[in-house]
Amino acid sequence: MNLMSNILLNVTIAFLVGSLLFGLQRKIMARIQGRPGPPIIQHLLHTLKFFIKESAFPVTAAMPFYIAITAMLCVIWVAAVIVGPVTGGSLLLIFGIYAIQKIVEHNAGSSSGSPYGKLSCVRAVYSAAAEVPLFAVLIIIYFKTGTMNITSLINYQSVHGPLILALPLAALMFFILIMSKSPYSPFAITKGKDIVSGYETEHFGLLRGYLMISESIAWYMLLWIFLTVFLGPLSIFAYLIGMVIISSVIAFINATTPLLNPNHSVMIQVTFAFIGIVGSFALLMI
Amino acid sequence: MDKLKTTSWIILIASFGSILYALIFNPISWIVYAISLVSIPLFILSLGLVAMAKGSKDEEEEKRREPFIGY
Repeated sequence: MNLMSNILLNVTIAFLVGSLLFGLQRKIMARIQGRPGPPIIQHLLHTLKFFIKESAFPVTAAMPFYIAITAMLCVIWVAAVIVGPVTGGSLLLIFGIYAIQKIVEHNAGSSSGSPYGKLSCVRAVYSAAAEVPLFAVLIIIYFKTGTMNITSLINYQSVHGPLILALPLAALMFFILIMSKSPYSPFAITKGKDIVSGYETEHFGLLRGYLMISESIAWYMLLWIFLTVFLGPLSIFAYLIGMVIISSVIAFINATTPLLNPNHSVMIQVTFAFIGIVGSFALLMI
Repeated sequence: MDKLKTTSWIILIASFGSILYALIFNPISWIVYAISLVSIPLFILSLGLVAMAKGSKDEEEEKRREPFIGY
């Protein structure tokens, strides 16, 4: 297949599957809470709807940065699709992309001029202190397998079996990280409803739709990385089943757990990171 | 047509053209990566800027009259 068509196909799949998984999450959460909930396709419809809505840019926004930062979010997750499913490149690049995601959250909040956005921007820095160490768990994978290359990791697992069995604590840490990126998550302090929509408060209309596209791609990519790195070579059908299962488990946790106070959120994540890193190294030495 | 609409149309056409170029002529990998990273996000953004609804002139005036409470 032509490289460009391969990239376009993967980006489109990431957006569509990510949107439907977000819709599924909302549906499951609603059912658990005794509500009928929106249709599964609702998140996708919302994303498209925002593109034709009337949009206005707040006078307090720092233009053109306010618009450019939304494009930045899209750039990094398109890059993740290229590094991941398209080329099977390095996990280090994915780690870099995730670090930029935190910068985007910070800057989207600060560029809007809204007090909610600014509070979210502070929380983004705060949560980065916990989430970046959680992502750094990928280093443990390097110590175990001797590679950070996604294709080599798939080959390693086809010989030695899934890494989730050898590094269960590392998988748990990555799961906590994925959960923190889910809407309504107990760790989603940057988008907590206590600060309206956090860094997205002043990004409405088409810019909100644009952010939602990138977030859907991000969700798909995080699940893809988890399944690829910890479960190894999977068929397309197994990927879809895995993504549905993880999204459903996270929906269950989100539905039954309130949004944590920022201090508690960060402390719990840091605790998981500490237990995961120390435990994983202990397991490696045994 | 205002400045934003004109710029959006130019970006939309340029990004669509570059994506088509990569699809048809299949240049070397790094050029395709560069085009994907720049053109796909710009295409989506400019499509949105072109497609978004605009308020009528009267509504625009009304919005301006509304006092800005400040933060």
